[in-house]
Amino acid sequence: MDGHALHLSRRRLLRGGLATGLAVGFGGGLCGVPGQPNVAWAAGDPVAGMRTGTLVVVFLRGGADTLSLMAPADDPDYRAARAPELRVQTDGEAAGLPLAQTLAAGIDFRLHPEAAPLAELYRDRSLAIVHAAGLTDGTRSHFVAQDLIERGVGDEAALTRTGAGWAARWLGDGAADGMAGDRMTLSAMAAGTGVPAALAGHGGTLAVGDLDRGLAPPGGKATAAVLDGLFRGDDGPYARAGRDALAGLAGIDARLPRGADGKIAPYAAEGGAAYETGEAARGLQTVARLVKMEIGLRLAWVDVGGWDTHENQPGRFANAVRGLSRALAAFHADTNRFHDRVTLVVLSEFGRRLRSNRSQGTDHGHGGAMLALGGRVAGGRMLGRWPGLASHQLDRGVDLAVTTDYRAVLAGLVGPAVFPGYAGPGLGLLTA
Amino acid sequence: MNATLSRAVLNRLSFGPRPGDAEALQREGLARWLDRQLAPDDHQDEAAARALDACRLSIKYDGGQDWSAVDEERPLAALDQPVEALWPLADGKRSLPGPERQFPRQQTVAATLVRAVHSRWQLREVLADFWHNHFNVFAGEQSVAVALPSYDRDVIRRHALGNFREFLEAVATSTAMLVYLNNRSSRAGSANENYARELFELHSLGRDAYLNALYDKWRAVPGAAQGAPRGYIDQDVYEAARAFTGWTIEDGAGLGGGQRLPETGRFTFVEGWHDGYQKRVLAQEFDPFQAPMADGRRVLDLVADHPATALHLGRKLCVRLVADRPPDRLVAMAAAVWHDNRRKPDQIARVVRAIALSPDFAAPGSGKIKRPLELAASLLRAGGVGFTATSAMIRDLDASGQRLFGAPAPTGHPDQDEHWLGSSALRRRWDLVLALAENRWKTGALDLAGLFPEPVPAAAAVERWQQRLTGLDAEPATTRAILDGMGLKPDRPLAPGKDGDAPLKRIAAYVAMAPRFQTR
Repeated sequence: MDGHALHLSRRRLLRGGLATGLAVGFGGGLCGVPGQPNVAWAAGDPVAGMRTGTLVVVFLRGGADTLSLMAPADDPDYRAARAPELRVQTDGEAAGLPLAQTLAAGIDFRLHPEAAPLAELYRDRSLAIVHAAGLTDGTRSHFVAQDLIERGVGDEAALTRTGAGWAARWLGDGAADGMAGDRMTLSAMAAGTGVPAALAGHGGTLAVGDLDRGLAPPGGKATAAVLDGLFRGDDGPYARAGRDALAGLAGIDARLPRGADGKIAPYAAEGGAAYETGEAARGLQTVARLVKMEIGLRLAWVDVGGWDTHENQPGRFANAVRGLSRALAAFHADTNRFHDRVTLVVLSEFGRRLRSNRSQGTDHGHGGAMLALGGRVAGGRMLGRWPGLASHQLDRGVDLAVTTDYRAVLAGLVGPAVFPGYAGPGLGLLTA
Repeated sequence: MNATLSRAVLNRLSFGPRPGDAEALQREGLARWLDRQLAPDDHQDEAAARALDACRLSIKYDGGQDWSAVDEERPLAALDQPVEALWPLADGKRSLPGPERQFPRQQTVAATLVRAVHSRWQLREVLADFWHNHFNVFAGEQSVAVALPSYDRDVIRRHALGNFREFLEAVATSTAMLVYLNNRSSRAGSANENYARELFELHSLGRDAYLNALYDKWRAVPGAAQGAPRGYIDQDVYEAARAFTGWTIEDGAGLGGGQRLPETGRFTFVEGWHDGYQKRVLAQEFDPFQAPMADGRRVLDLVADHPATALHLGRKLCVRLVADRPPDRLVAMAAAVWHDNRRKPDQIARVVRAIALSPDFAAPGSGKIKRPLELAASLLRAGGVGFTATSAMIRDLDASGQRLFGAPAPTGHPDQDEHWLGSSALRRRWDLVLALAENRWKTGALDLAGLFPEPVPAAAAVERWQQRLTGLDAEPATTRAILDGMGLKPDRPLAPGKDGDAPLKRIAAYVAMAPRFQTR
């Protein structure tokens, strides 16, 4: 992937280019001050962006088949286009879970049968679904689509003008990150080993896997002391990243509860949450632990792979949905004390082809869906506009059309200023 | 040859210098060194052959209903085996212990590590790593794991320095790729587009040549009217997917009428699954009902010949061998050499040679962060370790972010610094060098006795390790940082043996954590 193609040194980008980039973006005729809602937004969404709290982004890598996750189960066009095992059923043993909705009266929208935890979150109004959402650009390439979404732009021409990711634009330069006496600030983290392109340009994002064995550098205190000395006065990319890593890792490590033996205590999730194994559960558990440390976390990023189901989709997709649904439910239960401060959004680079292929799979499509979860989400609703699945309603005659720009959803969470050049209407995703 | 160039050659065209390599390169000169490295002879690689023979991997699992417990060490026997010998391991209907199913992948990883450290043909090893990422497959999938030894041997290594068009066909007909990008199940009627899309986007023309705004307006693609479209559109992907229908493997799939394919895992073409009607790919008309495989082969001809492929691959080689952002003129030169030599059997070798001999090859500021594989191999080579790969090392290397043959996305492992500088990745790489220096995974000990025949003061030990690992003069700041951090007095005597071993190994690890060793 060229997702990391723009890898201007992170700090340098911040100090030099980022502010200019924003200024140029807003020179294009859009009124508005970065961080301030413009008029259209003030009308549509009383709260244009989360001023406080944590936004958790769960990115489903590979193009999730959202037509199998939130399905128009009785739509005749849907039924005609797909082999029975590649769609959600309205009856029988594996029937989908009905969704009460006003998006499209007369269509029986159902969740995938493995998404029972999501059905429950939807019923208790914590979960909202935005269907037919995605990129307005027509790319069917994973890597172009992921790049566009992570930079927060609408088309490929804008990629060359946009160095930083949208999350980095939202967070600013991370200058306040680090230690001030005993007080630690960590504004961004990514679960796993790498930092996503959405955070390119934000200095000091901490990439962490699981916390079960702590984060101290290998080899004890001597290693930390040696590395500290080796990086001092060196301004190369490795030394700069090393300094950030040492500080961030040590700060988190010091905040992990320890038992009497000095070892990291096993994590005790709250609210009856049970995290299973798998990328989504592991990542979200780490996010929950960092949220509870109260270190000013604004953005947490969790990548979840396994959605590129060109072949043998039924079993693979069911497993992926089960893992995702249970992980989201566990996270929601575990963070119940923080529901007014934590909002989670789920997205993917595109949806998949309406018509299945002959490998028991689906190829790259266009429109997808997004989920929003949290105490501030006006949930229990399907939002957006349902375009229909008849041939003339499909994008290029083959794929679900996009009626809601993905930026409308994200802008409702972080404010429209993060998306220069985008001025679509708000969705009313969050409660006032 | 100046020291900068020599260092660049040994760090980027090989997995780092062993003691004496820099002097040998100076004597031989770069052009002659390249002549030899670009025409490797497997019969003249005794050190690697010996190390591969001697390598043993442990395999361990509990008894089950259909098997008894195993806890033993095994040689790398799968490396020479054809795909049909290993294919039964991927059979989901057979009851088999998981570690047996993954063992062919473990052996391929071990062989990769052993060759990176010991092979005389270092440049081929560097390029094999490059091509494994370029034509990435994901061995987390069982059917890919058992096909990995033949993919590595008969596809990647065989063509790593050869002709790209031949390489493409070897990949397109390989068990590993047919499984990974699903072309094996692609049939006329509703073709599976996975392979065709990545063929254009990743393997050949590249995403810069994806003109998706023109989606279905092929005549509007610049150059299309002259039969030379500048880029590709979605319709090209759809049509190419049709061209490859029927390219599959013998995996026991039903053919209708009670017939089934054999179960060997080998490539086969099934005419009955092929969509034989006329097609249009890259503004070229394909007549209906061509000879078996002719449609797919013609697609490979078209993409291999395309100027965008020359630019994409020229740039990618420069990014691997030179810098994250190579100079435009270097990329243009590499692309031109690629295109001009596209009919030559040693096309790729010629491009690599041109890049290495370019004045931009070792230009200041062109260094990159070593990937974990480079970091490990370069430490083992410079440290004079009689290395052998072990299962324990593979397990930990897998967690370092560079899980060999284990990148799920078809892009392979990223080649840009940014990706390897995350805090979690850094912590893993510090652990990697520490574990190797301390021989935690029983991979072989550092040559302490060779480097320190006499007791030396701690400061001199730090300096000597710097000279040994980087081939450069010791930096006083590095020496100070290591002594201070370890709480060692500069004049404290250290010698191999009981109490000198631990600090001497630690010093080696810390020198390997310093910026000069971590970058190439």
